[in-house]
This record gives sequence, structure tokens and C-alpha cells, in this order.
Amino acid sequence: MELPSLSAIGAQAVSGLTTAMLLFLVASGLSLIFGVLRLLNFAHGSFYMLGAYFAWQFNAWLQDSFWLSVLFAAIATGVLGALLERVLFRKFYDRPELMQLLFTYSIVLIVSDVVKYIWGTQQLGVRRPEILSHTFQFGELALPSYNLMIIVISLVIAVGIWLLLQGTRLGKTVRAAAFDREMLSMLGVDVRMLYLLVFSAGCFLAGLAGALVAPMSAIVPGMDADIIISLFIIVVIGGLGSFWGTFLGSIIYGMVFSFGILFIPQFSLFAVALIMAVILIVKPEGLLGRENTR
Amino acid sequence: MKTLDNKRNRLLMATALFLGLGAVPFFAPPFYVVFLNDALIIACLSMSLNLLVGYTGLISFGHAAYFGLGAYACGLLMKSAGLPFGVSLVAAGALGGFGAALAGFFCVRLNRVYFSMLTLAFSLIFWAICFRWNDLTGGDQGLSGIPYPNLTWISQMLGRPDFSSAQSYYLVSLVVVAICIAAMWIIVSSPVGLILRTIRENEQRSTFIGVETRRVKLAIFIVAGTIAGLAGGLFAIFNRGVYPDFMYWTKSAEILIMALFGGIGSFWGPAIGSLTLLLLHQETLAFTEYWSFALGIILLVLTLRFPSGLWGLFKRFTNTRRSK
Amino acid sequence: MNTTFMQLKGVKLLLGLLGILTTSIAFAQAPIRVGFPMILSGAGGQFGTPILKGAQMYVDEINAAGGVLGRKIELVPRDTKSRPDEAVRVARELVLRENVDFLVGTFTSGEGPAVSVIAKEAKKVFIAVAPKTDRLTAPDAIHPYVFRAAANTTTEGRAAAMIVAKWNIKRLATIAPDFAYGRDATASFVAHIKKLRPDIEIVDQQWPKLNESDYTPFITAQLGKKPEAVFSVICCGNFDSFARQAGAQGYFKSISNNFIGLGEAGSIEALRALGAEYPLGVYANTYDAFYWKPKDTEVARLHAAFTKRLSTAFKDDTPPSWAVQGYISMQFLVEGIKKANSIDSDKVSTALKGLEIVSPQGKITMRAKDQQATRGMLWGKATNRDGYPFPILDPIELIDPTLFMD
Repeated sequence: MELPSLSAIGAQAVSGLTTAMLLFLVASGLSLIFGVLRLLNFAHGSFYMLGAYFAWQFNAWLQDSFWLSVLFAAIATGVLGALLERVLFRKFYDRPELMQLLFTYSIVLIVSDVVKYIWGTQQLGVRRPEILSHTFQFGELALPSYNLMIIVISLVIAVGIWLLLQGTRLGKTVRAAAFDREMLSMLGVDVRMLYLLVFSAGCFLAGLAGALVAPMSAIVPGMDADIIISLFIIVVIGGLGSFWGTFLGSIIYGMVFSFGILFIPQFSLFAVALIMAVILIVKPEGLLGRENTR
Repeated sequence: MKTLDNKRNRLLMATALFLGLGAVPFFAPPFYVVFLNDALIIACLSMSLNLLVGYTGLISFGHAAYFGLGAYACGLLMKSAGLPFGVSLVAAGALGGFGAALAGFFCVRLNRVYFSMLTLAFSLIFWAICFRWNDLTGGDQGLSGIPYPNLTWISQMLGRPDFSSAQSYYLVSLVVVAICIAAMWIIVSSPVGLILRTIRENEQRSTFIGVETRRVKLAIFIVAGTIAGLAGGLFAIFNRGVYPDFMYWTKSAEILIMALFGGIGSFWGPAIGSLTLLLLHQETLAFTEYWSFALGIILLVLTLRFPSGLWGLFKRFTNTRRSK
Repeated sequence: MNTTFMQLKGVKLLLGLLGILTTSIAFAQAPIRVGFPMILSGAGGQFGTPILKGAQMYVDEINAAGGVLGRKIELVPRDTKSRPDEAVRVARELVLRENVDFLVGTFTSGEGPAVSVIAKEAKKVFIAVAPKTDRLTAPDAIHPYVFRAAANTTTEGRAAAMIVAKWNIKRLATIAPDFAYGRDATASFVAHIKKLRPDIEIVDQQWPKLNESDYTPFITAQLGKKPEAVFSVICCGNFDSFARQAGAQGYFKSISNNFIGLGEAGSIEALRALGAEYPLGVYANTYDAFYWKPKDTEVARLHAAFTKRLSTAFKDDTPPSWAVQGYISMQFLVEGIKKANSIDSDKVSTALKGLEIVSPQGKITMRAKDQQATRGMLWGKATNRDGYPFPILDPIELIDPTLFMD
């Protein structure tokens, strides 16, 4: 087998980065929710899907105003998340994990049919905005400006959330809640409100990701199930509850998948599942995780 | 004295059930035979999962993988290698058990959500292998056209030469499933069953009383995997085909839901859950395509209000009656 | 007393005659039931639903004209969810509980063979509407009750090879979803192009999974091998996202639009969904196109009339391309019943072999030797034309599949 050229490898690395950043955008919400609320939200993929569908809908209503549609879609998803948290999700915080998982799975089932009912089974599409239709050409490497935008936004969000958690009072409160919520409520913090905020922020991120990804791929029923497994792999590799772990996990996933296609085309799917298994066997708390796992 | 009676009653009831089910092909229209065949296999599968979830507290997300491994083993041996049914079925159970041993060895070292994640990871690996090994497994398209074994000896033995392959095969399934259920019953009512429950309640404490929890967990994981493999082998022939779908995580989720719906706190719960959901699925699909929605609502209500499933409901009902 | 007795007897006789009359009318009115297992949910639902509607349209036409053998036709649809084991379950339910007389349907190449086994078990004629895999009618799988109204991967792959053989290129790459249809179509294309143009070199082959959402790494890897042309089987609703992502990476430009997309990449649905983002200049195929103007005047007349009825049924001037497959499949079944003058599957099976129908796209024959219809596809080049809300295929032609059938 001929070895690919250096620029081909470079191109593959960039495409791996794009995949990684895209997934990170979605996974960040999942990681946040698990980190603080200790809830593994199977339905996170559904919020992602809803973000995409909302984006399409707002696009249709607002006559192709891309950025506004994305913003509204993300907000709508966040608001829906807040509503669902208030009514349903908060009942499950202290329940056994099996119940939590099965409950969130029930939400997946319900949302998938509701989406089908409202928008039908036809595939929907959203157009990229004019200013982002250009493609940068670096020798052999073709980088669409839209992909670059996704990479930039994901990085901005990553740093932004981190700064928020480290630097602001709100962030410190959120981190404290992850450690010891009883103590926190005794100190007078409205923990319920905090949980609501965090959950809806997580859903906002998922919706934002869905809305941003929409012009690149297809808006179709089933996109929720497709992504949730990738998300689980990422957060497990990086470490459940670790923010930078999720970032690292996304990079690893993206790169392994991308280079897998180049070097071991039959098995790139198998490779990521294998890495997940290896991490769980060797360092189950994940690369950057600190949980007790045995 | 009383417990002996209870046991004898239970045995009698189980035998009656077995004979009753066995009589079905003689009287009922072919559709019921097919439906019950499906239900029997799935019930066996969800009961095998319950050994892990209900009795030992091990929430496996990848149980369908061993079902799938068994199905592929049986299907491949019967269709491509032309081996007889008995051999293929044993191989199915063996491959299921082997896969479970491989995965279980690593999984039982972890707890809670990490255990579940690793079972999921292993099921994805097994699935990816079947999916990509196109030449052997037929890849995404799977193996279709798996033949029925030669069962004319059954119809002759029963004096009913008019029996179709489907009807004779139903009886074979019934016998195999009954053996599996009997085995599971023996395990859970033995001291081993008590140990499993102890591990479920508090694993740390059970080590204090000298239980080798890891070994026990691995053992039950393998047993569950073997039975799942046998169910898979039965299903491969029943379905006349094997597809990688059988091992995908959505199938694992289905089995888990069935077990929960019936009640993971009891022996027969998952069987009842499987039968009920299969029935509901069929009837619902006849007039609407929104089965996911219906299942989601059922699951939602279940997790919110009735975590002990149908069996729990039944027990609550009979208890209130008795107290009157 | 005598009169009352006679009156009573007369009344009884009258009642008896009335009873026989009503029963025979009721018996004659009992509809012919056709089980229709099809994907109606999930990502595949966007094809299954128009197929079902197309079939229903034909059924309504036939029923309005008095039905077949004096009986109406009734479709009994069931959702297979694009899962072969679900397809098996619903097929068995349709046959054993709903007592359907025939089975028509299935979409994927996994469902088709799965249901075929049940059709053989139940000895009911089964017409596969969409599965293209050769394995459906392969010598080890074929039986008297399975018929295919769809094209197959052999004819599709070879037709593509015929088109590509005319291109001035040497380096060729393929990209196809990693499942039976993708693999079989690619294999048949590669085998045929090697015969027609032994000088062409296959420099790269990519196999993304079906319903892959992120094609970027596959596209990058393929571009790295510098192909001059690409053969693609990206289908089943995935062509949209693929084309968008590929277009963004300059894929089509780098191969000067020497791209041929099988799997209905040129369907109305794909053209409409991509709109201005559809890569112009590429070749693609489709089962039907409302804008197709056949050269033969008789076929043109039939097709125009059909398109008009389709537009009314779908309330859309640009009706989907998949409906025609449901229509044609039911047409075969009904013509087969008429010729056999019976609904007995053995008789209908014999009648179907060699049966020629006049479909809205011209004459199609159900070959006796492999129970496969001579179903061709429309192939054309994507371009913008005035008067259409999205790009269309022009020039577009129906390639005769018998050129490629052994």
C-alpha cells in the first residue's frame, strides 16, 4: 500500500479536526449536564436533532436569515430543555441510574416520533449563508470556510465555558454543586434553580450544534440515534464529567476516525469502539476523569 | 411443610403452562404458533438479561451482542456449513458464552455506569466485526434464507404428518426455552441465587462475608450470555435470516425495556413484559405508525410511577385484595 | 291453514334465495388483499411513503374501473422500519393473520431477500418494489413466488459503465455506502468498465457507512488520490449531505464534474433538496422525472397522463420520482391476476413469467428466466433550465436495460 503524501496526511488531519470540533460542540452540553447533575442524558441527541429542525423552521419563517435562525433555534432548544427539566427531568436526579437512563431513553422515543409527526419523514435542508460559502485552498488542502467557522466557534465555546467555570462566581457555584450539593444548599444557594440553568445551558449547546451542523448534513429523523453513541464514546474516553476530557475525547475520536479511513478503511468504526473499550479497561475514569469506578 | 407445597404448586403450574403451550399447534391457527414462537424466544432472552439486571444488579447495555453472536453461529453453520441443527444450536450457546466470557472478564471489574458503558463498548465491537466482515457474515445485508432443520420426525412422532415446519419448529423452540428457564430457575432458587441478591444489595458488604464477587459476577455473566446465545440460535432459524441489527445497542435497549416493563424484581416478570410488549407492538402497528411514541409513553409512565413493572402492579393488587 | 303453510314455505324459500344471493354478493365483493410491507418511518420513510402512494393511486384507478375479476383491490400496508427482522415479522403477520393474497413491497436489499423467504414459506407471490441486490434472484435464492419490479445492480452498474466509458479519463475512484447495494453496484460497474476500457485505473475506493452524517474524512482521503472521475452509489437520502460537504471541499470541481451518481442521485427529491447547491454537470439516475419528454409519442402520451394524475394525487406540480415504482409493481400484479384469471399464487406466478405490461414509461417485461423486470432507469446530466424551480437532468434518456441483461 502506497504511503499517502504529507499534504494528504495534513488534509486528513484537518478533516479529523472538523469532525472532532463538531462533535465537541454537541458533547460539551452532555458533559456539562453529567458533570454537575450526575445525569447521563440519553436524550441529548434528541435536543441536537431538535436544534436542527428548529433551525430549518425558523429559516422558513424568517426568509433565510441564517444567523438569527441559528440563535433562535438554540434558544428554543434551551427553553424546551428548561421546561422538560422542570416537569420531568428533575424527578430523576436521585433515582437509580437504570431509571435515569430508561427515562431519558423514553424521551428519545417520544421526541423522535413527535419530530416525525410535525416535520414528516422527508429530508430537509438549510443553505449555508453567502459569506461562508467560500473554500480556502492551501495547496492540496481544501478547507471550506463554513468548516473553519465551526472549528472557531467550538474553540471559543470551549474556552468560554472554561473561563466561566473557573473565573466567575456563577461558575464556581456550578462547580461546587458538582461536588457537594447539600452543602451548597445549606449555604443558601438555590440549587434547584442552578440545576435548571445548567440543564438548559446544556440543551442550548446541543441545539446550537444541531442548528450549525444543519447546512452541512441532512436534517432527517434518525440523526438523534446516530450521534448519541459517538457522544458516549467521546465522554467515556475523555472522562465522564471532565470538561477538557470531553475536548480531548472529541479530538481523539475525530482523528482516529479520520485516519482510520486513510489507513484501515474497513475498520475505522471498529477502531473507535475499541479505543472506548481499552480506556474503560485501562483507565475507566477516562483520560482526564477523576471518578471512582471500581 | 408449607414451602414444600408452594414449591410443588409452582412446579405443577409450570408444567401445566408447558403442556398448555405445547398444545397450541394442535388447535390454534398458524399465526398464533408463529407469534408464540417469537414470544418464547424473546422471553427467554429477556429472562437471561434479568439474571444480570434483576438478580445481580448488573445493568448490561450490550446483552443483544451475545444473542447476535449465537444467531450468527447457528445461521452460518446451518446455511453455509450445512451442519445439523443440534450441533449448530450448541455452537450458538457456546459462542454466546464465549463472547460473554471475553467481555465479562473486563466488565465485572467496573461498577455502575462504567460497567454499563463497557458492556456497550463490547457490543459495539462485536457488532462492528459482524457488520464489516462482509465475506463471512454478509455484512449489512446479513444472511438470509436460513433453512428449517429437518423436523419430519417430530410430526411423525406426534401422529400429525400435516404439521408444517413452522409448527414443528415451534415445539422444538418450546422445549429448548423450557430447558433454559428451568436452568435459570434452579440457579436463582439455589444458594447461588442468594449470593447474587447479596451482591445486588451491597457488593462491598458481600465481600466482607467472604463472597468472591468478581468470580460470581463473571460466572453469571457467562451463563446469561450462553442462554442469550441459545435464544439467538433459535431466533436465527425462526427468522429465516440473521442480520447485524440483532446485536445493535437498540436491540439491547429493547430487551432491557421488556424486562423492566414486566418487572425486574421477579422471575417471570420479563417473560410477561416481553409477551405484552410484543402484543402491543403488533396491535399498535396495525393502526398507527407511531409505535416509538407509544413505547416512549409506556416507558415514561413506567419509570415515573411503576418501576417494578407489571409484576409489581400485580403484586400490589393481590396484596390489597388479601388484606381485605 | 294450507295457505299459511305454503306462505311460510314460500317465505322460507325467499329468505333462502335472498341469503344465497347476499352471500354470493358478499363473497364476490370480498376484496383482493395485497400486503404492502414498506419503510414508512425513519430516514427511509421519505421513499416508502411516495411508493405506497403511487401503489394506492394505481389501486384506486383499477377499483374505479370495476376492480379485478369483479373484486376490488385492498392494500394492507405495514411499516418495516428498514429492518429485515421487522420485515419478516410483518410479512408473516400479513400472510397468517391478515390473510393477504399477495405481498408487494420492501425497499432495502436486506428486506427484500428476508421477505422473499417468507413468501416462499407461505407460497404467496411477492413482488419486490425496490431492492436491487442480485441476491434476491440469485440461483440459490430464487423460487417461483418472488419477482422483482425494480432495476438491479447488474443493469445499473453496467449502464453507468457504458456512460463512463465515453469519458476522456484514466484515473477513476469509487465511493459507495458499505452495504449490499453499494458493494454489488460498484462490483458490477468495475467489472464492466474494465471490459470496456481496460486502460482505466481504479485509484481509490471509499466505503462510508450507510446514513453516514460526516463524509469529510472520506472526501479528503479520496481527493488525496487525485482521481479524474468518480463513480458513486451514495443513495437513500444521503446524497444531499454528501453533495453539500463534497461541494464545500471542491470535490466536484477537482474532477471537472466527471461524476456519476447512482442510487437515484438525480431523483426529484434530491434535486429539490439541494436546489442551487446541486453540483451541475454531473451525471445521475432516477426512476422517473416529471419533466422527461420521451421520444416515442405513445410513451410520451402515457407518461404525461401519468404525471398529471401523480401531480393531482400528490398536490404537487413536481411529484416525487419514487411513486412510479409502487405504481408499476401493482400494475404487474394486477395484470398477472388478469392473465391467470385467478388469485391462486401458483397460477399468477406462471402468468407473471414473461408478462409484458404497458407502464407509464413504456413496455416492461417480467422475464421468465430470472423473474426480473426489464426495468431501466433514466440517466441524465444535471443542469439549470428555465421554468423549473430547481436543476433538472438534461439531456435525460431511458437506457434500455436489456443491453446489460444476460
